[in-house]
Amino acid sequence: MSREEALRKRARELLESKQVVMVVGHRAASTKGKAQPAFIAKPEDAESLIFDETCGQNLAGHLLKVKHLGKIAVVTKGCDSRSILVLLKEKQLDRAQLHILGVGCEGVKEDGKLSDSCITCEYPNPIVCDEMLGEPAPGDRLQTLNPKPQTGELTSDERWRELSEDVSRCIRCYACRQVCPNCYCPVCFVDASQPALVGKTTELSDNMVFHIMRALHMAGRCVECGSCARACPMGIDLMKFNRKAAQIVKERFNVVAGVKEDDAPALTVFDPNDKQEFIR
Amino acid sequence: MSTAEPHPQEAGSQEPEPKIVAFLCNWCSYAGADLAGISRIQYPASIRVIRVPCSGRVDPFHILKALQSGADGVLVSGCHPGDCHYLTGNYVARRRFAVLNDLLEFAGIDPGRVSFSWVSAAEGERFAEVVREVTEKVKALGPNRKLVKEPAS
Ligand code: SF4
Ligand code: SF4
Repeated sequence: MSREEALRKRARELLESKQVVMVVGHRAASTKGKAQPAFIAKPEDAESLIFDETCGQNLAGHLLKVKHLGKIAVVTKGCDSRSILVLLKEKQLDRAQLHILGVGCEGVKEDGKLSDSCITCEYPNPIVCDEMLGEPAPGDRLQTLNPKPQTGELTSDERWRELSEDVSRCIRCYACRQVCPNCYCPVCFVDASQPALVGKTTELSDNMVFHIMRALHMAGRCVECGSCARACPMGIDLMKFNRKAAQIVKERFNVVAGVKEDDAPALTVFDPNDKQEFIR
Repeated sequence: MSTAEPHPQEAGSQEPEPKIVAFLCNWCSYAGADLAGISRIQYPASIRVIRVPCSGRVDPFHILKALQSGADGVLVSGCHPGDCHYLTGNYVARRRFAVLNDLLEFAGIDPGRVSFSWVSAAEGERFAEVVREVTEKVKALGPNRKLVKEPAS
């Protein structure tokens, strides 16, 4: 039985036996070669579930929209499981109300090309799951393809110029926020008006503040799934910021988002011995 | 923040002082600044003090907003680790500032634009020293041109 067949079979069983009220997974979208999230509530609809290299969406965020219905089963690859762990730690989800259907991920492709974030992915398999469907993906296969991007030794001005080119194209559509599995604040800082924390124009200054603060708010929470970069209509390399934030949190606090079940989100706790070489 | 008027002490001097916004915590650094004042310790008239209840109250947004609004530099100062009036406010703030500090460097904001310090209520001289040092650093960098917003015309 192929992995996809196993997935459909289990989804049907779980729904028929009423162990869950819904299965969240992927289905083919109307655009050829693309997938979209599927919310399956009837056993007979389980047939539309797919799992392949087009299934790039991180499904964890969708759970927040359906969790009130009851126990949910969710198709979970490595990055989805990391997001779920982040959401569990932030008390947005209840583990007892989840049934995690694990799948190994061979990497998501965009227009036939392996997605950037999947080239550097170190966790293709779910960190937590209730059952694994099919074989786990070879964990180090992706890493071997993995030349971590080099930032090199640039001066401040060169770094500013380089990032400015990227960031100045941002049209502030917030697709990156919409698609992010770990963005769920009822009032996002970009929408707050009392006080208005960041200007709403697309001037470089406002855009840069938006991107710095987006990265800061995702530090220790971003699981580097790449959904935001894939969603951006302007082709902005959001992973540059995300990777940097992840690197800072790893180096300073030795925390990697969503890979352990029992640690706290990095910026909600402290260690009295945290390095403070930047403080006078 | 966008006032064009020179600070009175600055008016006669050759080189205008940079504008530095200083977020000082009520319990330590603000009292430290006060002590520097009553002890008549001299330091550059470059800082504009904003008193906050705790360094933990300083949101990175406040820091960036100051730079956007035309400050040449920002100083954030609180109680020494272990001395926070609210016990752990400065520890939590320290993590946030660390990430901000590194992200600013990554984005190409010159190190020295935004400074952090711990100054206790008993450290008037140290407060003056921090302000001297920060002012020198910001002066050396010149006016803030990267994050400042064009004034609406
Ligand atoms: S910020 Fe981007 S890469 Fe990080 S979790 Fe959100 S969507 Fe995924
Ligand atoms: S999706 Fe792209 S263009 Fe839209 S707000 Fe995010 S970075 Fe800017």
